[in-house]
Amino acid sequence: MNFALRFIFREMRSSEVITLIVALIISVGTVTSISLFVDRLQLSFEQESANLLAADRLVRSDEPILTAWRQQATDLGLEQASRASFATMIFANNKLQLSQISAVSDTYPLKGSFLVDTQIFAKGFASSQSPQQGQIWLSSRLASLLNVNIGQEVEVGDKKLTVSKYLVLDPGSSTSAFAISPRAVMNVADVAATNVIIPGSRVRYSLMLAGNRDKLNQYETWIQPQLKDGQRWQTPKQKGQRIGQTIDKAESFLLLAGTLAVVLSGVAMALASSRFVKRHLMQVAVLKTLGATPRVLAKLFLLQLLFLFVIGALGGIVGGWLIQEGISSLLSSLMTTTLPEPSVSKLWLGIATGFISLIAFCLPLIIRLIQISPLSVLQPAARVEKNALAIYVVGFIGLYGLMCLYTQGFMLPSIMTLAIGGVGLVVSILGWVMFKLGRLATSGATSGWQIGLASLYRRLTPNLFQLLVFTLIIMLGLILVGIKTSLVSDWQAQLPKDAPNHYLFNVQANQVEGINDISQQLGLTSSSWFPMVRGRITKVNNDRIEKLYPEGKSEPELFEREMNLTWADQVGEGNKVVAGDFHANGISLEQERAKEAGITIGDKLTLNIGGISYTLPVTSIRTVDWGSMRPNFYVIVPKQLLSHYPANFVSSFFIKAGQEQAFYKAMSGYPTVSILNVGDLVKQIQTIIGQLSQAIQLVLLCILAAGALVLIASIGSTLEERREEGALLRVLGARASLVRQALIVEFGFLGLFSGIIAAIGAEASLYGVQTFVFKTEASWHPLLWALGPIIGVLLITSIGVFASRTVLKVPPMLLLRDF
Amino acid sequence: MDNITALQTHNLTHTVTSKTGDLTILKGIDLEIKEGESVAIVGSSGSGKSTLLGLLAGLDRNTSGDITLYNHSLTSLSEEKRALLRGEYVGFIFQSFHLLPSLEAIENVMLPAELKGDKQARQKAERLLEQVGLSHRLTHYPRQLSGGEQQRVAIARAFASEPKILFADEPTGNLDEENGKTIINLLFDLNRSQGTTLIMVTHDNKLASMCDRQLIMSAGQLKEGSL
Repeated sequence: MNFALRFIFREMRSSEVITLIVALIISVGTVTSISLFVDRLQLSFEQESANLLAADRLVRSDEPILTAWRQQATDLGLEQASRASFATMIFANNKLQLSQISAVSDTYPLKGSFLVDTQIFAKGFASSQSPQQGQIWLSSRLASLLNVNIGQEVEVGDKKLTVSKYLVLDPGSSTSAFAISPRAVMNVADVAATNVIIPGSRVRYSLMLAGNRDKLNQYETWIQPQLKDGQRWQTPKQKGQRIGQTIDKAESFLLLAGTLAVVLSGVAMALASSRFVKRHLMQVAVLKTLGATPRVLAKLFLLQLLFLFVIGALGGIVGGWLIQEGISSLLSSLMTTTLPEPSVSKLWLGIATGFISLIAFCLPLIIRLIQISPLSVLQPAARVEKNALAIYVVGFIGLYGLMCLYTQGFMLPSIMTLAIGGVGLVVSILGWVMFKLGRLATSGATSGWQIGLASLYRRLTPNLFQLLVFTLIIMLGLILVGIKTSLVSDWQAQLPKDAPNHYLFNVQANQVEGINDISQQLGLTSSSWFPMVRGRITKVNNDRIEKLYPEGKSEPELFEREMNLTWADQVGEGNKVVAGDFHANGISLEQERAKEAGITIGDKLTLNIGGISYTLPVTSIRTVDWGSMRPNFYVIVPKQLLSHYPANFVSSFFIKAGQEQAFYKAMSGYPTVSILNVGDLVKQIQTIIGQLSQAIQLVLLCILAAGALVLIASIGSTLEERREEGALLRVLGARASLVRQALIVEFGFLGLFSGIIAAIGAEASLYGVQTFVFKTEASWHPLLWALGPIIGVLLITSIGVFASRTVLKVPPMLLLRDF
Repeated sequence: MDNITALQTHNLTHTVTSKTGDLTILKGIDLEIKEGESVAIVGSSGSGKSTLLGLLAGLDRNTSGDITLYNHSLTSLSEEKRALLRGEYVGFIFQSFHLLPSLEAIENVMLPAELKGDKQARQKAERLLEQVGLSHRLTHYPRQLSGGEQQRVAIARAFASEPKILFADEPTGNLDEENGKTIINLLFDLNRSQGTTLIMVTHDNKLASMCDRQLIMSAGQLKEGSL
């Protein structure tokens, strides 16, 4: 043990061990900083989404919230708000109107804010306060249907309430675009006095929570087992698929970035550990001749590895924490909201990376080292490379395992691996050809050009390896740029500037023409009109829903309620038929709902429309792009089924800023038509995209920094040879400037070749990633073809010349002292 | 020809600074070597032989005193200028060969000639390798050659730039007797045929006695001696 420690402290001073520690610190640090930063971004996205949920988390129940639930939240120190949503009649000026009421507590909303206005049909301003007791906020449409203004009273059941504002948006219900009844918001304290909620009333109660994430998780663990049917725990991620998809894409991207960090770390580890082992070969052989058993040696090196791991992991964690703090503070000046603190629990990923890398890249080499024959003392030529393949395989498995750990899946690591393997092959072939051509084009050693180009070919194996490393780094950098570009443009394509921001529904057939006129006068962009008829599914394959889902068994959303049916001649924009024939005489279902209800093509559904039942087979299944902001339908039926029913029409419009007032005013002639402004939702999504795109740039910067460090490490592994060569060239009469010029040419061309091959590889990988991971249409990226070579030359020349600067300084005298 | 002075030192002193204080390795050495001479420097380990050799070849700058190589004062020259001078006048053979591992034998030999911009580098290298008996090993890498063969390549390289003065640092130190003999014969043959001045550091008295002069290094001083 004493011996081992003494050994370690001696080792600490050697450059290889320092390199190994630095590599460990870099790998742990990079991964730590990225995983902490990603965590903060995810928390930030969650916060953004929480604004749509009006809380960090909520429990939804069909029964009043239990006191014990509230007590638990109080005990954990969580902020709380409550909401009860129900439909009821509102009475005013001798008019009755069915309305959807949200009764909320004073603390509501915990996240986000209401949009209200004092003008009818106006755009609204933010308000984080809920209605006071005795007050009610009516949507402009409801106010106009009831013919009341601000200051007047309406009756909700037995309680008279004063209209104090016009409601534009309730943050907690912003995504329920198809609520048919007009909305109102009142204070929950007034509900009891209305006497409208009686046993059997359909009320949706929500307990909204906000606060510390660990506490929220604690609360979730506590409440989940208690939840019965009709009760649900909701997180921001579940709220609104659109936001969910955005976060998922962000996650995919950032994990891809994480994978890149792992690859880079692995390369650095491999380089450092191979140098470490090379230096120990003779030492081990000598120790063996002195009688050291493999057991003693194994202990010795394992202790060393453990020691290195502890230092590297600690250094990496501290470094990583500092880096992400730095990035975040840089970012905070760019972002509107400050990033939440990262969770300490995310540190394990960096530690695991360090540990697995050490095992994958060092252990096999150490084992070979321990197995070295003592005879090697006498035959120094006998080297450890014999079983190099096995060592690479273990390293690869470790790396692949780490990538899987990162992405929690096999898809991305497999694509990455294939890409890297392909690049490795292509790089070897192209590199060989390019180096050979460079060598043929020059002969002699009179200029740096000749020496530089010639040494590319002369040091073929290490240069091919470096070419591969450089190519991978640049390629992955380019892939990130490409993904970022294509992700952002993909999102922008999904949410173009003129994405619909208003929905119009409850439009009667005879109103369509008039509204079209308004739209034309104002020059608005609109989607087509979809007819809607209310209906409900009552039987599946002639079994009644009530029988299939008896009391207490929660039914799928498809059967839960009355819904809007439509017909269409064409498959709608953003819809894609995945099974069956859309034009067949039957029902077309949205894929997710069909899956949830366990319905497939050929199942017979009985629809009740206006009291009459129709039984039809399901003839097609569609996917729907909910991000399109156009009206979409779960159920589409043949036209002849609905043609004799009076239909409501729905459409979506894009209304430019400043045109709203004119549009609302024109629409006041149609008080029965519901207008839903979703522009703020769109804005919210665009904010998230903006933040993500900034985050991507910074993560990219982070990775480039890691890449630069790997380059330095990889140059380090050929540094001794370069120093010797530099000294020798000087002894033979070469000027220092010639040696420098040769270095510039060598690294410059290495960079150029890397950049070119990287551009090819990036384009190919982007095709794969776009097609299979993000499922978007693949496209060309001309930018990459310019960026690759330029970045390659600049980056590698500067880093290469910097990292090998000692080559220029080594005194030629050293050659007499033995390297 | 005998009258030309290839190398001269006057009061050559070299001091290195170490943790334990300054250490004077060479103490006022005066030396003159005529063109075409072969000189052996012998002495015990650590007596400063290799340091002297390095300074004479202009690999480093001495602390005080003068070294003149073909009328160029090395002491006053920058490293840059000394490099040019080395390329022009000097050839080198090392104890541990110092072949570039990434270059083939022929490329190693071509290197000094190429640095001088010699268009005939390859032909010359081929001829030299043939002279050292390695014409069948042109495209081998150093690791594919035995120690003796590597040193033969190194000798070929040393003569490739047609140096006026050749420095050899323990040229047989890493070789067995047989290979050592071959190397020595080659070295002296080439030296004679090219008329080169030879300055050699060695432990081997037999080898030293083959040279015209023997200089004994002891405690930083140099004495003319005979073995």
